[in-house]
Amino acid sequence: MNKKTKSKSGSNGNRPHNGASRPKSPLLVKNARNGAPASSPKNNDTSLRTYSIPDLRLEHPNLSVHQSIEKDKDGAEHVRYEVTGNLDAPVPAIRDSQYLDKKQCIEIYRYMLLNRKMEVALENLYKQGKVVGGVYFGLGQEACSCASAYALDKDDWFAPMIRNQGSLLVRGFGASDVMMQYMAKADSPTRGRDGTSHFGDIEKRNMVSPISMLGDLIPVMAGVALGARLQERDIAVMTYIGDGGQSTGVTYEGINFAAVQNLGLVLIVESNLWAYSTPSEMQYRCRDLAERAIGYGIPGIIVDGTDACQVYDGAREAVERARRGEGPTLIEAKMMRMKGHAIHDAAAYVPKPMFDFWKKRDPIARFENYLVKEKKWLNAKENADLISEVERVIEAEREIAVNSPMPTPESAEGGVFCEEGCHEIKPKYGMPKVKKRTGGFKETDAAVHLK
Amino acid sequence: MLLTYLEAIRQGIWEEMDRDPTVFCLGEDIGIYGGAFKVTDGFIDRFGPERVIDTPIAESAIVGAAFGASLTGMRPVAEFQFMDFIGCAFNQISNMVAKTHYLWGAPAPLVLRGPSGGYVHGGPFHSQNPEMWFVHNPGLKVICPATPYDAKGLIKAAIRDNNPCIFFEHKYLYRRIKGEVPADDYVVPIGKARLAREGRDLSIITYAAMVNTALEAAEVLKNDGIDLEILDLRTVSPLDREAIAQTVKKTNKVIILHEHSRTGGLAGEIAAIINEEAFDDLDGPILRIAGLDSAIPFSPPQEEYYLPKVSDVVREARKLEAY
Repeated sequence: MNKKTKSKSGSNGNRPHNGASRPKSPLLVKNARNGAPASSPKNNDTSLRTYSIPDLRLEHPNLSVHQSIEKDKDGAEHVRYEVTGNLDAPVPAIRDSQYLDKKQCIEIYRYMLLNRKMEVALENLYKQGKVVGGVYFGLGQEACSCASAYALDKDDWFAPMIRNQGSLLVRGFGASDVMMQYMAKADSPTRGRDGTSHFGDIEKRNMVSPISMLGDLIPVMAGVALGARLQERDIAVMTYIGDGGQSTGVTYEGINFAAVQNLGLVLIVESNLWAYSTPSEMQYRCRDLAERAIGYGIPGIIVDGTDACQVYDGAREAVERARRGEGPTLIEAKMMRMKGHAIHDAAAYVPKPMFDFWKKRDPIARFENYLVKEKKWLNAKENADLISEVERVIEAEREIAVNSPMPTPESAEGGVFCEEGCHEIKPKYGMPKVKKRTGGFKETDAAVHLK
Repeated sequence: MLLTYLEAIRQGIWEEMDRDPTVFCLGEDIGIYGGAFKVTDGFIDRFGPERVIDTPIAESAIVGAAFGASLTGMRPVAEFQFMDFIGCAFNQISNMVAKTHYLWGAPAPLVLRGPSGGYVHGGPFHSQNPEMWFVHNPGLKVICPATPYDAKGLIKAAIRDNNPCIFFEHKYLYRRIKGEVPADDYVVPIGKARLAREGRDLSIITYAAMVNTALEAAEVLKNDGIDLEILDLRTVSPLDREAIAQTVKKTNKVIILHEHSRTGGLAGEIAAIINEEAFDDLDGPILRIAGLDSAIPFSPPQEEYYLPKVSDVVREARKLEAY
């Protein structure tokens, strides 16, 4: 293989930007679909099309990854990933939120701490041999998981991906739920039948369980919004996809369906630069994944995924649009996955300078600095107290999880079908009101394909 | 009243939409056009575009959206223009929809329906019988009616069921057969076979369009003094094991007849059930008549050669009777 001497010109968002088209305001392009007839969700008013992508970031990293040939000391050649760009760029400030007050910021910060400390506990449980299978981490992505889910209301729905364990905590699941999933315990939300964040709750927390195949949740969440709309409720339905997962065809199908039907999908595209071991340069060619929104005819926005305030503001505006019945939004959150794909993967393929660059942008350290030093919303003691409170919570949750028994072998049986009396099916938001029309039943005699 | 198979299905969905505001339809060209086979003809005028939704050509999105809506307590009925295209949504059906109740306890009351089957020279992508892809998928109910009465009663049962149901409508039967259908509301239970013909000499276990093939063969075999019993499975998952065992215990000889390819087909599974439930009652080998192990060819002489026909049943029945 020849050494690539230059990187592709169009690729992920860590490239120099044409800043001219980036409005400073976080406001999304207004999309007024009021008055569109129900029979025709597609409104062809060209003013609704978004041809520019707002970017809330205060920095635009210009790193790019390409393959190169390295010779080892014996002269043998090896293909490696190499990063180029300004690796010494200063860390930007946290952007003040337009919406969050002191109390809310601290609450999000607490969730981020819970998220991280839960994952540290999981890592330890793994090392103690208590975890069945691997552990997936959201290290470096806590701001994205927690601040996005924080923008949802009780009636909204969400579906996490594997790294959005923080979102689960924000929605009210306990760290023990997640830990028991990883340990395959009898009291886990799936009673041992699946692990990781693969669980859901359609009763209280309105969460759809993810599956391992990427992108399938997108049309599912659009369908949740469709179901709610048939019950005369516009809700926000939030889910996530990575820069790797968005390569799937069902991602296109799902976003397009939500767009055509004007459903309140809030899709957080987590551009975390690595899909297992493949850099985003090898997943897609456009500069920013948010640009895809233009092709769908929906608003898109870019946020710094390590800045909780930006993530929240982007998510909040998207959620509000959804609840106003104004359709889907694509939010690209840029950050880096700071561990391997799962615990077995040391991520040796990631150039070390990239880890160093993004480590300086650690979402928790940045937010802590913002709250303690810049805003002075927390003093050192309050911060220390908060951290130890979170540690106590995680320790208590760990105890619950560890003490849960393993499921009995026989509990593998049953539950394949919803049997009589197992679940009552009723509309979540009320019985749809039916507008009786005049058309009556008459036999059809129209021409058909393949008589 | 006397209805075609297609009208029976139309009426069944129509009545359920009338009865239950949570029922709605989505699919390609089902609205103003009324569907490729006109199963939803006139529905959009009656129930409105909110409940009769034309979708993009995106089968994974159709199934995904149906599933999502079902989680909010709706009862979606999603149409595949041809069941051949259900493969485009396979992951969504197999990994999302089918596993949801077992894994995390969420019921998914949705119906995926559409035309399947050959004998209409539809070629390799408009003639398939892909039901076995889903029989091997725990968590799905797979329904294949043979008569107008069953088609209406089973589509209504599927819509009312709390589980994902895949409803295969045999397109050869759509307008070719008529049958008596009661005006009153009724359902046919999912998972129960029926005797399409009582006989004493030999059992044919089959379903969908092949029931008629077997019935025609029975008329021919009557002249040979062979009295066929024909078991119409109606539902291929879950299978009615009891009815299968019962007919074998009665006639002691059995032929399994299906339209889809032989290898890995339903006959293999039914033969295994017979081994488990009624081995000692067998007075001869279990025979199977099935489609060839290839794609379904387009040209009429080739298609006819590929698919099971009356003469195949007659020949195999005579062979088994003489055993």
